[in-house]
Amino acid sequence: MVILGEMVRDIMKKIFQSNILLIVLLMSSGCSSLGVEPWERDLLARKEMALNASPIDAALDDHIYFSKEASSGGRSFAGGGCGCN
Amino acid sequence: MTLKPARTVEIQPTNFGFLTRFHAMASPCEVLINSTDKLIAKNVGQAVAKEAWRIEDKYSRYLNTSTCAKINASNGKPVSIDEETYKLLDFARQCFLMSDGAFDITSGVLAKAWKFDGSDNIPEQDKIQPLLKYIGFDRVSLTENSVALGQGMEIDFGGIGKEYAVDLSLQIAKKLTSIPVLINFGGDIAASAPPRDGKPWQVGIEHPGFANSNTEKSPPLVVSISSGALATSGDARRFLLKDGERYSHVLNPKTGYSIVGAPKSITVTAPNCIQAGFIATLALLQGAQAEQFLQDQDIGHWCIW
Amino acid sequence: MQLTNKLQKTNQQTLARNKSKNLKSLLTAATCSLLGTTGQVNAKAQSQTEENQWQFDTALMYYGETDRVTAVEGIIAATKEFDDEEFLSLKLTIDSLTGASANGAVAQPYVQTFARPSGKGTFDVPAGETPLDDTFKDTRVQVNASWAQPLTTDYTISTGLHASKEYDYVSLGLNASLTRDFNKKNTTVAVGFAAFYDEIEPEGGIPNPLAILPEPKTTAIDDRPRIGSSDNKTTIDVLLGLTQVINRRAIMQFNYSFSKVDGYLTDPFKIVSVVDDLGLVQNQIYEKRPDNRQKHSIFWQTKYHFTSTVVDFSYRYLWDDWEISSHTFELRYRIPFGTGYIEPHLRHYMQEAAEFYRPFIEQGDAYPSYVSADYRVGEMNAYTLGFKYGLPLKNGQELSFRIEYYQQDPENPGYDLPGVLQDVELFESVEALIVQINYSF
Repeated sequence: MVILGEMVRDIMKKIFQSNILLIVLLMSSGCSSLGVEPWERDLLARKEMALNASPIDAALDDHIYFSKEASSGGRSFAGGGCGCN
Repeated sequence: MTLKPARTVEIQPTNFGFLTRFHAMASPCEVLINSTDKLIAKNVGQAVAKEAWRIEDKYSRYLNTSTCAKINASNGKPVSIDEETYKLLDFARQCFLMSDGAFDITSGVLAKAWKFDGSDNIPEQDKIQPLLKYIGFDRVSLTENSVALGQGMEIDFGGIGKEYAVDLSLQIAKKLTSIPVLINFGGDIAASAPPRDGKPWQVGIEHPGFANSNTEKSPPLVVSISSGALATSGDARRFLLKDGERYSHVLNPKTGYSIVGAPKSITVTAPNCIQAGFIATLALLQGAQAEQFLQDQDIGHWCIW
Repeated sequence: MQLTNKLQKTNQQTLARNKSKNLKSLLTAATCSLLGTTGQVNAKAQSQTEENQWQFDTALMYYGETDRVTAVEGIIAATKEFDDEEFLSLKLTIDSLTGASANGAVAQPYVQTFARPSGKGTFDVPAGETPLDDTFKDTRVQVNASWAQPLTTDYTISTGLHASKEYDYVSLGLNASLTRDFNKKNTTVAVGFAAFYDEIEPEGGIPNPLAILPEPKTTAIDDRPRIGSSDNKTTIDVLLGLTQVINRRAIMQFNYSFSKVDGYLTDPFKIVSVVDDLGLVQNQIYEKRPDNRQKHSIFWQTKYHFTSTVVDFSYRYLWDDWEISSHTFELRYRIPFGTGYIEPHLRHYMQEAAEFYRPFIEQGDAYPSYVSADYRVGEMNAYTLGFKYGLPLKNGQELSFRIEYYQQDPENPGYDLPGVLQDVELFESVEALIVQINYSF
C-alpha cells in the first residue's frame, strides 16, 4: 500500500509539472484573446465542463477530508460543520 | 452606420471536420462540415457565404441598392419584382393570414416610437397611434410581377430573411455534397444530416440565464439536432421595464403595443428554418400563452421565461 | 393607457384562441412554395430545465477504514428553477458513524487500559497497538437550503442556510454570495461570506485541558476534571473568486478564502501521553488547542476539453496561524465509454504539522501552553485513487458508481523517540475504502 502512495505521488508530480507548463503557455498566449463568443460555447455548455460537475461527490469528499485532515474549503466555503472524528 | 465587416471566409480544422466562418446579416455565421477534406469544406463554406451575402444585398433595408429599399422608397407606386421576391412576399402574406395579422412584415415602422434600450421609456399613446395607419399587410397589393405598398408604408424582412437564407444555403450545400453539414446564421440553424459518428449535432443555445459554470446548478440549454432546423426568437437585452412589467421587443401590429408577459426567448424546431422562425415569433406574440400555443402546435420547443 | 392595455389583452386572447387551426399544414404548404421542399425534423433537447420540475440528485456512500471508523452517508438534493433563473435548492444529508478512532495516546509494549471519554467503563488496548477509542457511534442529520437569483443582467445573488445536528453537536450557518459577469460572461467575479455557530456537548462534559486523566476505574464514580458541560465556536468565512473562460475548450477558476474560527477548538476526546526516558507512559493529559485559528487558502482549478475527453485539475495551498500548511493536488480525467463515461481520480495531500503538535510529551519537559497528539494536525501525506463510472439513462436520468481508495500516512516531524517508543508504531497509516452510488432524476 505504501508503494501505491509512492506511485500516486510520482504521477502527481509529473502531472503538476506539465500543468505548470500549460498554464504558462495559456498566460503567454495573451490576455486580450481570452474568452469566447456566445456561439462558441458548445463545449463549455456541456455539463461535464461545469467547474463543479458533480456537486454531490464534492460534498461527500469535502465531508470526508474535513473530518480526516486539517484543511478544508478552497473550492467553496470551509464551513463549520460537524463533530466528526 | 458602422463600418461593414469584411466579406471573408475563415476556415479552420476541428475535431469533427472543418468550420468556416464569416459575417452576414449583422450576425456571425458558421458552417460545420463533417469531413476532413479541406477542399470540399472550403467550397461548401464559400458557396454558403456567397448565398448569404447575396440575400443580404437583395433584402437588407439598410442598403439603398437593395430590392427592399427600392420597394420602401416607392411612395405608394407599384414596383416590379422578380420571381424570388414575389415568392418571399407571398410567404409573408400567408404568414400574415395564418396569424390573423399578428405576424406582419410592415410593422417595422413602430421602431420610430419604441426604443428597446432596457430603460422604462414606454412611448406615449400619441406617439404610437399615428404610426398604426402605416401598418397592415392587407393593404399591400401583390402580383407575380409587382408590389405596391400603401403611402408611407415600409416592409422589413428582418423576421424571415435570415431564416430564408439558412434554408436556401443548406439547399446549395446539399447540391454540392452529401457530407453532413450544419449551418448557423446567428442562432438560426439547419442541418442536412446527422454527423457520421451517428451522434446528433450538439447546439448550445445562449439565453439570458446562461448559467455561470461556478454555480452549483448549471443548466445551459443544449439541444441535439440530427437534421432539420432550429430558430430562436426573443432577445434578452432588448426590452423595457416599467413598474416591474417586462415589455418585450415584439410588438402587436394591431395595437402598436409591446407584448407583456411573453417568454424572454423561444426556441423552436421545424423541418425548415423559416418555419421554425415563424412559429417562434408567433409564439412570442401570444404573450403569457406562448407555451400553451406551442404545445397545441405539437412542435419541439423550449421557452426561457 | 389602461384602455390600451385592456385592448391588447383582448387581442392576445383572440390570437390564443385561433392558435390550433391546422397551422402546421398551412405553414408546410407555404414553405413548400417558397423553398420547393418539405424536409423533416429530428431534434430533441437535453436540457434538464426545459420543464420547471424538481430535479433530484441522490447518493449513498459507504466509507470504511481498516479496523477503525465505518460510516454510511446518504444525500438527497432537490433543485427547482422558478421564473427568471431563480433556483431553490434543498439538501438533506444523513450519516451514521460507528467504530474506533485514534485517541492520541502512544502505543506501548504492554496492554494499556483507558477510561471511556463518557466516564462509563474502560477499554483495553493490546500491546504494540495504536490506542483507539472504540466508542464512536453517532447519527448526524444535516439540512441545507439555498436560493439563487439574478439581480440584473450581470449580477447574481445567492443565499443559503445550514443546520446540522448530531447527538453531541449542533452546527448552524448562513451564507451569501454575489457574482458579477463581465466580458460576455467570459469573466465572473464572486464575493462570498459565510458564518457558522457550532456547539458541542460531549457526554461526560468538557474536560479540563492539560489536566491529568484519572486512573481508569471500573466503579461508577466519575472524578474526571471538567470545566463545563458544553462549549462553542464561531466561524467566519470570506471567499473571493475569479472564473475565466480561456477559450472554447478551457475554463479556469481562482479563489482566495479566509476563515477565522474563535472559541472551543480543542477535541474533548483527544489525549496526549506523557512518557519517561524509557518511553514508558507515566500518565495521560487532555489536549489543548488555541481558542482561535485564522486560515487562508488559494485554490486554482482548470478544466480542458480535448476532442472527447475532459481533464479537471485543481491545486489548493492552505496556510494558517497554527503553522499548518498543506498542498492538495487533484486530477480527474473523464473518458467517454459506451453511452456513458469513466473517470479515474487521483488526489495527493501533503500537510505540515501544527506548531503545537507533539506525538507525546517527555516527562520533565515544561508543559507547552498548547498541545495535541491528534495525527490530523500532524505531518502527513494522503493519497486517493478513485474510479467512477457514469451511465446516462432515459429522460435525463443518470446513474453512477464510484469506488475510491484513501490512505493517510502520518509522519514524524522530527521528534527523537525514547526507549520503547522506537519499537512500536507511532505513525500508523490509515486505509479506507469508499464506495458510492449516485442516481439523478
